[in-house]
Amino acid sequence: MPKQSPIPDELDRPFWAACNEGRLVIQHCTRCDRLQHPPEPTCAQCGSADNLEWRQVSGRGRIYSYAVMYDTPVTVLQADQPFNIVVITLEEDPGIQMLSHLPGTTVDQVPWGASVQVEFETTPNGQKVPEWRVVG
Amino acid sequence: MPTKVPNAPESWYRTREGLGIWPHRGKVAAVGVGLSPTARRWDGRPETSVGAWSILALRKAMEDAGVSPDQVDGLVMAQDTATGSPWPPGKPVPEDFLTTFQPTDDPLDGLTRLSAEWILQNTPELTNVKFTMYGPGCMSNAIVVAAQAVGEGLTDTCLVLKGWHNLEGRYYVGQGAAAEDTIAGRAKWTTGWGTVACYPTAMHFEAYCRKYGVTRDMHAPFVVNSRKNGLLFPEGFYAQHRPEPLTVEDYLSARWIAKPASLLDNDLPICVSAAYLFTTPERARDMKQKPVYILNHASDRIKIRSVMPTLEETEECAASNARKLYEGAGITANDLSFEGMYDGFGQFHVFHLEGLGFRGVKRGDALHFFQTDISIEGWNPVSPSGGNIGSGRTRFWHHTDAIQQIQGRAGKRQIWRKAEVGVTGGPFPYGGNFTVWGATPG
Amino acid sequence: MAILISFDIDGTMEFGDPPGGITLEMVRRAQELGFLIGSCSDRPPSAQQALWEKHDIRADFVAPKHGLDEVKSRFEADDYLHIGDRDTDQQFAERAGFRFYWAYDAIHEPWLTLGDAQDLP
Ligand SMILES: [Zn+2]
Repeated sequence: MPKQSPIPDELDRPFWAACNEGRLVIQHCTRCDRLQHPPEPTCAQCGSADNLEWRQVSGRGRIYSYAVMYDTPVTVLQADQPFNIVVITLEEDPGIQMLSHLPGTTVDQVPWGASVQVEFETTPNGQKVPEWRVVG
Repeated sequence: MPTKVPNAPESWYRTREGLGIWPHRGKVAAVGVGLSPTARRWDGRPETSVGAWSILALRKAMEDAGVSPDQVDGLVMAQDTATGSPWPPGKPVPEDFLTTFQPTDDPLDGLTRLSAEWILQNTPELTNVKFTMYGPGCMSNAIVVAAQAVGEGLTDTCLVLKGWHNLEGRYYVGQGAAAEDTIAGRAKWTTGWGTVACYPTAMHFEAYCRKYGVTRDMHAPFVVNSRKNGLLFPEGFYAQHRPEPLTVEDYLSARWIAKPASLLDNDLPICVSAAYLFTTPERARDMKQKPVYILNHASDRIKIRSVMPTLEETEECAASNARKLYEGAGITANDLSFEGMYDGFGQFHVFHLEGLGFRGVKRGDALHFFQTDISIEGWNPVSPSGGNIGSGRTRFWHHTDAIQQIQGRAGKRQIWRKAEVGVTGGPFPYGGNFTVWGATPG
Repeated sequence: MAILISFDIDGTMEFGDPPGGITLEMVRRAQELGFLIGSCSDRPPSAQQALWEKHDIRADFVAPKHGLDEVKSRFEADDYLHIGDRDTDQQFAERAGFRFYWAYDAIHEPWLTLGDAQDLP
């Protein structure tokens, strides 16, 4: 599904660079041993910027919930309406979420709580984005 | 006149539990109410601009309270008046607007935003305003700020104002960043996927229905009842322009925006302004209307863990907010005669009600509760104003109604049981500003 | 030739909010020619029904804006038209196999030249 192409910035450049290499990395505070997403300049728990690193995660997760978009404001997505937008939580930490269009799953047939695996989809400017597919 | 009007300091907001009784409980009163007419969209005339209608609302609030303009010494308001359709880039500001009103350095002031400077220089009879402050965003915020300001003695006769404008165009659809082929900033994690404003609520509601084994059709009686109440609000948009009730079938057949949220779970952007007059109980004695005492205010500043608030974060935030409200007012849920929590998106109300424990409603109970008598004629009046569903998008009908209910002048909306204590606020069950109102000082 | 015309309300009909260019007179004329008429609007169906009744017009159907396909399945016609003022009108019309006319064009009553109506004075 053609999406808007993300433009990386100072804060999230490593995330997008990893996507282009087919890896999913998440910001991690080594002091708190805590994952954080979306990325922030400092750790939301300890407030420090000094202990943040990027940690590769398994790319496995679960479906938390979803809604089906029938009237999106985003122009490039309108031709594909209706489509799923699913909240995915990561296996390493169910507090960490990502959104997905859940490629391969019929609209509104989202399997509740199902396991998902990350894959990477190329957007029009070449930047890859994480997408998720139901497994098993 | 002040040169730079500040936002309220964060320390004014009661965001934590354990703060005890609000020190100004019962020492601030709402007395006057003023509302402009309503319209679906601005018709281009200076006299119907958000600035003009805000001045009208202020004048009506003063008249309603029986206060002369020179007695007013405070103004608290929200600057933002947008409902989702921006002024087209490059479009000139109408000349007759600029000649009718004294502009500030922003030619769109009074049209697509509203500064305190604009209000004061175009309401020349307000000659003694010494305190001005913004409660950004919503009337819910401005009320909290004004209550705190009167409580702290910074103003003793204070106008509280919120205006909304609505221009041509669909609500954020295909505009600005949404129309681009690329996406930058934090939106990469959310709106880049095509989410719309009601998406988080729709997603919560989906999770809620599965968690508690309930279905969306059980929400219909709330929506139908809200529109019914709204049609009894003569100042409201639907009562004035589209006086048709909703049926359960209407609700269930409405088109999806983000399923399970439909057009009728979303509210209708409109043009309208409202103003209230707040004062001290001592001054209120000389005024025309019965004082409605502010017993407490509380605010949520939820820190969500990741991209979207979860259902669990939402539920806990709403519950914590209720504990703050009750603690600071020295009341319990049993003391509430009615509730006027925010409903724009409709499903917000489920989470607000359960957070409050209104009539003993626990998590997962609200949709069952909606199958009972929630009308104004019953013992458990839910959203007697009808909120945004009943009267269009303002986020202030419920506040207006709470004041009028306790004053006993809600007209055909007057609840059957005695209106003694009410709670109102919003917007989100996961973040907003809330107020407890009482017929007595506590 | 059976023709079905669906009207949006707000921004399309003269009694809409905002008022549009399609008058009750135009609707009556279409009805006198034997066309099936009704509305598909974001107004709730019960409100649409009330509006037609208020203006003394017996609508053959009312439906939510996304209900055009359901209207099509209910009524046999040779031509299906939807008149509206928004992108959403156009999208829903085309998806349901209706021909779409913008309200500002439709004030010329293009349907009068369709089918049997051509023979009328
Ligand atoms: Zn940390």
